[in-house]
Amino acid sequence: MNKSSLRWLSLLLLCANAWLAPLARASDTELQLKAVFLGRFANYVQWPHPERTPFVISVLGAPSLGEQLTRLYADKRIQGKPVLVRSVTSIHDLDMTHVLFIATPSTAARQEAIAYAQRHGILSISDSKGFADQGGVIQLNFVEQNTQIKINHDAAMKTGLHIAAPLLSIATVLRGPQP
Amino acid sequence: MKRLLCFLALGVACSGSQAQSLERSHDWYALPLDELVRVQIPPQADVGSRDGAHSARDASVPIDVYSAEQLLAVGHSSLAQALAALVPGFNYPRPSIADGTDHAPPFTLRSLNPDQVLVLVNGKRQQQGALLHTNGTIGRGSSSVDLNSIALLAVERVEVLRDGAAAQYGSDAIAGIINIVLKGYGQANLAQLSWGRSSAGDGLQRQASLFHSTPLTGDGFINLSAELRDRGPTNRAGPDPLDAGRINTHFGDADTQDALLAWNAELPRGDTSLYAHGQFNRRHSSANAYFRRADDDRNLPQIYPQGFLPRIEPRITSLSATLGAKGLWSNASRWGLSYTGGFNDFHFYVANSLNRSLGLATPSNFDSGSNFLAQHSVNADFSHDFHGHNLSGGYEYRLEHYRIRPGELASYQLGPESSWYPGAQGFGGFAPDNKVNAQRQSHALYLDLKYALAPQLMVNAASRAEHYSDFGATLNGKLALRWQPAEPWLLRTSVSTGFRAPSLAQSHYTSTAMVRDGNDILQYGNYGVDHPVAQALGASALKPERSQHWTLGAVWQASSQLTLSADAFLTDIRNRIMPTGYIAGWNLAQLSPQALAILQQHQVDGTTYFTNAVGTRTRGLDLRLDYQRNLSQGRRWQLNAAWQRAYTRITSINHAPEVLGVGMTDLILDPYTRVTMQAGQPQTAFKLWTQYRTPNYDLALNLNRFGSYYSTWGSTPVKFAARWTLDAQLSYHWNKNTTLTLGATNLLNAKPSEWGQTDDELTGSGKPIPYTQYAPFGYNGAAYYLRWGLRF
Repeated sequence: MNKSSLRWLSLLLLCANAWLAPLARASDTELQLKAVFLGRFANYVQWPHPERTPFVISVLGAPSLGEQLTRLYADKRIQGKPVLVRSVTSIHDLDMTHVLFIATPSTAARQEAIAYAQRHGILSISDSKGFADQGGVIQLNFVEQNTQIKINHDAAMKTGLHIAAPLLSIATVLRGPQP
Repeated sequence: MKRLLCFLALGVACSGSQAQSLERSHDWYALPLDELVRVQIPPQADVGSRDGAHSARDASVPIDVYSAEQLLAVGHSSLAQALAALVPGFNYPRPSIADGTDHAPPFTLRSLNPDQVLVLVNGKRQQQGALLHTNGTIGRGSSSVDLNSIALLAVERVEVLRDGAAAQYGSDAIAGIINIVLKGYGQANLAQLSWGRSSAGDGLQRQASLFHSTPLTGDGFINLSAELRDRGPTNRAGPDPLDAGRINTHFGDADTQDALLAWNAELPRGDTSLYAHGQFNRRHSSANAYFRRADDDRNLPQIYPQGFLPRIEPRITSLSATLGAKGLWSNASRWGLSYTGGFNDFHFYVANSLNRSLGLATPSNFDSGSNFLAQHSVNADFSHDFHGHNLSGGYEYRLEHYRIRPGELASYQLGPESSWYPGAQGFGGFAPDNKVNAQRQSHALYLDLKYALAPQLMVNAASRAEHYSDFGATLNGKLALRWQPAEPWLLRTSVSTGFRAPSLAQSHYTSTAMVRDGNDILQYGNYGVDHPVAQALGASALKPERSQHWTLGAVWQASSQLTLSADAFLTDIRNRIMPTGYIAGWNLAQLSPQALAILQQHQVDGTTYFTNAVGTRTRGLDLRLDYQRNLSQGRRWQLNAAWQRAYTRITSINHAPEVLGVGMTDLILDPYTRVTMQAGQPQTAFKLWTQYRTPNYDLALNLNRFGSYYSTWGSTPVKFAARWTLDAQLSYHWNKNTTLTLGATNLLNAKPSEWGQTDDELTGSGKPIPYTQYAPFGYNGAAYYLRWGLRF
């Protein structure tokens, strides 16, 4: 094989390597950051049933976030427990979970998921606008590239969750009657 | 063999990219919570595709995003000046003694024309100004959007799309698109007071601004911004040796007062949101025409024994408002319906002047009439996501209305006291013959497809069919490819066609004056292309400018902190619309007897009109570096550097109307026009903005290099050398909510190079006007400012 052939073969291998690489874009920064926040939030929350193990994070309607979470928490523990990540497309597919990230675009579907989370002592998180006002526990948004966290404290109490002060201190906390 | 090793090394780098990404997440996970919330995501942009906000740095076409923080940190009080300091290839000279242009100067991108940039506000088309720039400034023969009619404090970010996008957004998107995004959800209330002046002691600037956000249920909001801006005049004219060394001319910024209001509101109700946004601006401005010495034929010494300096004092009113609704059809489909309407009214007044032909009966103040442009658009849009792909499209209806209203009689009248000097000196009024009331409609259908051929390969195809009631139909397309061979690397390319519809002003602008020739009264000036005189002289309905675009670029995201990009571009434009030279027997030696007879028959001394004249090719390269690093103890360092080269050449010249008997080169492309089109704007630009932030203070520096540019003296090109400027700003955070800022623009007091020695009594080094008005950063020199800001 001459040098020229080697060069072309290398280039071909390079392309194949690139082609087979998993989808990862600069815009994934937002996804990566969300994945980090989900686990970090969990460290500041007490659940009504602390004995449940492993620590389960369920993602409703955002499979790419599920993949990020799986990669990030493969060798990590949350509250001393190994982490299991599940991606689901409907709340009917949900099993026991600690955290539910809700990425359904419609308000009605979101409301249904929030109600499910409240009934089952699950920490509900979403990046949808109006999520905390709707009764979700933690709303995570990015405004002008910066993170904004909104916590519905009453919804947390109603769900049986206790959120520690360090997390509340970096968030906008909603208290009082919510619609 | 070396190349082989390089390829293999690159392959290894690609394999490691996923590990890098994971490592970054692990690093963030280890951060204390208060530091984790300081990690920023890359800038997001709405422009470029219709499927919602996306990361600007890895888009399929080059997009730059400038944050509100950057816009404020360069120290300018108006949006156009702030963008000129930050955006490479954004040229914003400050013309003087250029009639209406002094009061609403145009800006350009990539050395093209002001009307070859599409401006959007929250994604909605912003109407151009009513003013047609007719003097010898950059942008002569075009209209422009007045960016300074938008309050700076209302702006969340400005997105600059560096590619042709008429196939997506319609007319004008040739040099690029500027999308101004108003502050929306989650913004803090802000009040600002600022004061500044130039180092020469003039140019006093006072500004009071307020931004207030009222949150609504469901993360809705009502945001209001108000601003009062008072910008005093500057004057860099030199003494006039022919007037006892007096400084009798004004050459500098206009004296301008602006009142601005902006609003942005969103009211969510379930899956539907109602929204509204808009802005209002009222401007009073004053600048001058050339000085008329006491012994000037145009003066009446009984009225002005020392001569006089006419003041052109327009009142400019602009309004733009959008009302719309958007929502979900299903989990995968979105819809939108909106109306955007607006107008710009440019009303000329002249003061400290006279109508020489009326003799001593002349008034000194005049109402010279107005130009008015209104635009109404209705959009119906949809967007559908399927299996990771997106299909978007919609329909747009647009109605445009252009009017010229005549001024008062004395502003244009040719009285008995002079054969040559009718109307108001400084700016003669529009006559009833010049009255224009033109309108047109357009309908457009557009479709965008974003299709992931593979996880790393995205294709974006767009098409837009449009029908205008004046020139007919146009169909344009765009194809963009975005390939990410590995996480840090992105390769992108696009090809597209585009167009710019001739503006109603270019088609219909009419401005004439009269002179007496014996017993005859002759008319002269500019006629609309549908005017009988223009038509007899070969004018025809204007065709749209057609463009073709190609870009090829690469992005290297070395880390989450460092991104580098390089994008080459090529833009071909055919049928560029330009005003003809003055068609008169004494000006064009080869003018045909037939044309001379037409002029004589209509009692016209000479005329100009607009025509599709030339084709050009613009080639260039954009290089960009973005770096940001979060440091301990709440500190942050950010650096953005960019370099652009844009080089325009005339590639084709259309045939002139046969009736004239002259070639297009003689008719339009005199040396001045040729040089201005090809080299009148800097061909290179370098920008470096950096900011060091701490909890107690921020330091921002902005370094600019404006490349050289040319004009002509007579028919000889004159080169104006490149210049560096430096802006600096230090902000001290008095407490969590109060900030005191001290800054300087053009700190090193750079001045543009002068004309040099000329045989003119007015223009040249050591003469009353030493500088060219093409200077890309003006000629005021250094200016200082103090600003107090309060978050509440």
